[in-house]
Amino acid sequence: MLKVVVFIKQVPDTSSKAGVNPDGTIDRARAKRMLNPFDRYALQKAIEIKRQYGAEVTCVTMGPPPAVEVLVEAFEHGADYGILLTDKRLAASDTLATAYALHMVVRHIGAFDVILTGLQTTDGDTAQVGPQIAERLHIAQITYCEGLSISGTTLSARRVVEGGFQEMEVQLPVLITVANSATPLDYKRFGDVAAVKEFLRHPEEREKRIKIVSLDTIGADSARTGLVGSPTVVGKTWKLGEIGGSCVVFQGESMEREVSELIEKLKADGKGVEELINA
Amino acid sequence: MPNPNNVVVVAEQLQGDLQQITQELLGAARGLAEKLGTGVSCFLLGHGITPLAERLIHSGADEVIVVDDPQLKEYTTLTYRRGVIAILEHLKTPPPIVLMGSTTIGRDLAPRIAAYMEVGLTADCTELDIGDYEHKGKADPTKVGTFNNILYAIRPSFGESLKARILGPWKKPQMATTRIGVMQALPLDKTRKGAVFTVAVKFEQEDFRVKVVKTARDVSTSVNLTEAKVIVSGGAGLGGPEGFDVVRDLASVFKDAVVGASRRAVDSGWIPYAHQVGQTGKTVRPDIYIALGISGAIQHRVGMANAKTIIAVNKDADAPIFKFAHYGIVGDLYQVAPLLKKELIKMAREKGVKAGA
Repeated sequence: MLKVVVFIKQVPDTSSKAGVNPDGTIDRARAKRMLNPFDRYALQKAIEIKRQYGAEVTCVTMGPPPAVEVLVEAFEHGADYGILLTDKRLAASDTLATAYALHMVVRHIGAFDVILTGLQTTDGDTAQVGPQIAERLHIAQITYCEGLSISGTTLSARRVVEGGFQEMEVQLPVLITVANSATPLDYKRFGDVAAVKEFLRHPEEREKRIKIVSLDTIGADSARTGLVGSPTVVGKTWKLGEIGGSCVVFQGESMEREVSELIEKLKADGKGVEELINA
Repeated sequence: MPNPNNVVVVAEQLQGDLQQITQELLGAARGLAEKLGTGVSCFLLGHGITPLAERLIHSGADEVIVVDDPQLKEYTTLTYRRGVIAILEHLKTPPPIVLMGSTTIGRDLAPRIAAYMEVGLTADCTELDIGDYEHKGKADPTKVGTFNNILYAIRPSFGESLKARILGPWKKPQMATTRIGVMQALPLDKTRKGAVFTVAVKFEQEDFRVKVVKTARDVSTSVNLTEAKVIVSGGAGLGGPEGFDVVRDLASVFKDAVVGASRRAVDSGWIPYAHQVGQTGKTVRPDIYIALGISGAIQHRVGMANAKTIIAVNKDADAPIFKFAHYGIVGDLYQVAPLLKKELIKMAREKGVKAGA
């Protein structure tokens, strides 16, 4: 049976108003939390592999204790095992330090065939951690992967490039970052949602499925994580600030009137809208 | 012997075509090199690509270091990784700065090089500069100190509406990737002279674990949001997939319009991902952007705020989109869109009549 590892992350939900300060900055303690939207594609790909070829799917996340929520979500989608790496000494890790810690989790797991990650996260936005894990594990990678199939120990994949695509073959093991243009998301939950609720209630069962580990558990060197292990720091930040702020709003009882006022205003402002219309 | 103290750009070519990002990076590198009082080196990898070296010199490079090898005919992560490492090792001392593009190649290769070298890498920069930095953090006493003439890698953190300056003065090279279309390329200067060096690379068997079976151009499946003059987009306010009929109907009024969508609409399965505008979709800058039933959360805003004219229609007068759109109508999009279509056609006809008379 194939062994598949999926890296997922909990991020602040910026589409919700909760925890978003008036200037657009995030109060992480108050913000709503969600699974990184890019990771849904990786998770879905893992479940597809499981259904098509038979696989054991282990989801790995790193973060503070509430991040266990994304593992529960992964079980509902059909994942088999979950690992949460949580340790105060991981705070402020940059991509290099994060990749070090996560590759140590893979070493702790042992054998694997395919590692899947989302293309990037919505909070860090770097797309660097996946390839850096692959470098640390000395394995091949395929980034921006749209589709894949597996035959024996050969994985065939289609990779998006600017203005086209590449078709490639690789011998397992491999790390794949999944493009959003992969299969559209299917919101059916393939796990047994009732069974997930049930095992979460029983500490013994729960411990079999969810492992909560620290840097010590996985034998990682804390000098290579967190602020100390990161070769970069954030030196200074500025607010992006509001854009525009001079919206002309038409509002009233009659839609006809609002629309015709808008059209008159567009003409008066000389926006050249006319030139772009089929008439 | 190439100068190891130059600012380095890793060139990008696809089947012998130099990519625009390379000229942009050379433009940025020249600015940094002048502030540092040094030159610009360009790493060029591929097969049969040595003639491109002259073009790189005309675009701002002082030295071009070429690895020309049949095994580099097609880009693969591990063979190009080996090639870049071979040049870095050939230089003996690591260069101060290495720049690459935020492309499907740069974002694939740069993190591997950075992890191999155990150095920092800042992704998707929008500005680069040189400056000083005093590190006072107490977490690691070995890092404390004052550093002069280091790389300022500046990038937006969209999730938080912030712009951040990222620094990594402790290890060389300081690495960064830059977004496409942000850095300024220099005008081609055909009188520029430079030196060309070649480096041989010794591949390992493990570098060939990935085989490229086929490389193809494919525009059929792409939705050309990035080049459209007009985008009409729909969001959660549509209420269902049939809402996009209204969006398409309004878009049909324009000569060159493409249908866009918010993440909520795509995640709901109403329209394919190729239409998505925003942080997790495309970044667009059309002349006109019409947003129907889109609230304007930050993740959408960052993808379309640079449109020249933004017109928003939303039932909720407090929707954030009314803070940054140029024109807004508070109302039901199902009523407003057909009226808007009718009035836009009328407006263009009147203009046509005037022009004809």
